[in-house]
Amino acid sequence: MPLTSQPIDTSIYATITAAIRSEASRLFTAAEVVAIIGYAAARRVGSAQPVIITDAAAAETLIFTEACVNNLAVYLTKAKKEIPKKGKIGIIVKGCDLKALVGLMGESQLKREDLYLIGIPCAGVLASAVQPATTLTTETIASKCCECDVHLPLGCDFVPSVTLPPGPQMESRYSEEIARLEALTPAERWAYWKEQFAKCIKCYACRQICPFCFCEQCLCDRNKPQMVETTPRPAGNTAWHIVRAMHLAGRCAGCAECERVCPMDIPLNLLNRKMAKELKELYDYEAGFEINDKGPLTMFTEKDDQSFIK
Amino acid sequence: MHSENQKHDFEPKIIAFVCTWCTYAGADLAGTSRMQYPSNVRVLKFPCTGRIDPVFILKAFQQGADGVLVSGCHPGDCHYIAGNFHARRRFAAFRKLLEFIGVDLGRLAFSWVSAAEGGKWVEVVTDLTEKVRAMGPMVEFKDLALEEQWSGVINTPELQEAYDAI
Repeated sequence: MPLTSQPIDTSIYATITAAIRSEASRLFTAAEVVAIIGYAAARRVGSAQPVIITDAAAAETLIFTEACVNNLAVYLTKAKKEIPKKGKIGIIVKGCDLKALVGLMGESQLKREDLYLIGIPCAGVLASAVQPATTLTTETIASKCCECDVHLPLGCDFVPSVTLPPGPQMESRYSEEIARLEALTPAERWAYWKEQFAKCIKCYACRQICPFCFCEQCLCDRNKPQMVETTPRPAGNTAWHIVRAMHLAGRCAGCAECERVCPMDIPLNLLNRKMAKELKELYDYEAGFEINDKGPLTMFTEKDDQSFIK
Repeated sequence: MHSENQKHDFEPKIIAFVCTWCTYAGADLAGTSRMQYPSNVRVLKFPCTGRIDPVFILKAFQQGADGVLVSGCHPGDCHYIAGNFHARRRFAAFRKLLEFIGVDLGRLAFSWVSAAEGGKWVEVVTDLTEKVRAMGPMVEFKDLALEEQWSGVINTPELQEAYDAI
């Protein structure tokens, strides 16, 4: 673990911004896309917000900076029925966002031919707790970026040609925290999660932001029969978070948006990463850039481990 | 057999989610063969182990179960061809999740019991009942269910600072 925070070189982001602007402008002029989902500067200095642009003039508003934290794939799941009607949609994706998009394509939620992917070689983005306009360092970087192995998205239609400078060595925050929790006794782990889940106010921001939570009716909203209590009491909170982690097991692409939007700072991605780790060990499955129409929990082999079954 | 009906301080509640084609018939066989097994087990019949959602197990624990058993057909014997294969993967993952949350996995058992295995059903149920009896009541989920209101502790430095500034 580095003792002092080291700056991360984000000088390529200016080149990327220029490249995506000219590409967006070209796409609209050539009428290849009807809209582009990207990032634009927001009102606070240094901050960024998702934006959907529909003409070449607006291409100049697109940016990419270390404040471009959102996973834009979520806008496609909510709009997926509209896409074929209007034409191709361009979307700006970081490596982690692309993994989510690929997962959605595997689940037949999106078609590759309906999208124009603009990939971003990404050196990392800021953590949710820090103010925008902060310099990106090994301390202010988002936890997901510390363990990122997809700095360069693959299989995109356009990727700005820049060379990613080698980044500093970073601590593996999630792996270390998972290892710490695994070393505790069950009672201690229960106490830890009880305290975490007790904070939940059931705002469902984690569900709304998740690209994979696209069910038209969530199991947790049903009341006949009611499987998960909807009130923010400890029982309902615990059940909700277990169900959420279970429904994302083998699907989560690790964009960590759930954790970023959680107003109560519940370490939601820890559960997702733990499940990803277990499924990797059990079934050698990892979210990646390859479109698979079956996930680890929707397929099987006859030789699967059954040592836990009598 | 009445001599075995000894009194215990604690009688665990065991919920068994079983497949109708194998384990339910197996349990039926145990009954018609007059085999004795603990009456602590409450059997719930499902069309297939593939129909058993992990949320049922959570619900059982919340409603006061001390142990849960999931039982169905042996691999390859599924009435719906592959339901138990899917269930096997799902419960392998679910066990890992519960373990990480801090639930003692001794309270959760899985088994394959075919329609001809009345004896195995008796064995599985007796084992789980005795194991859970030794572990005592499952209090974690029950305690949560008894808490009437939101119980988060807000003690972050930022909030304390904001509070002090009022």
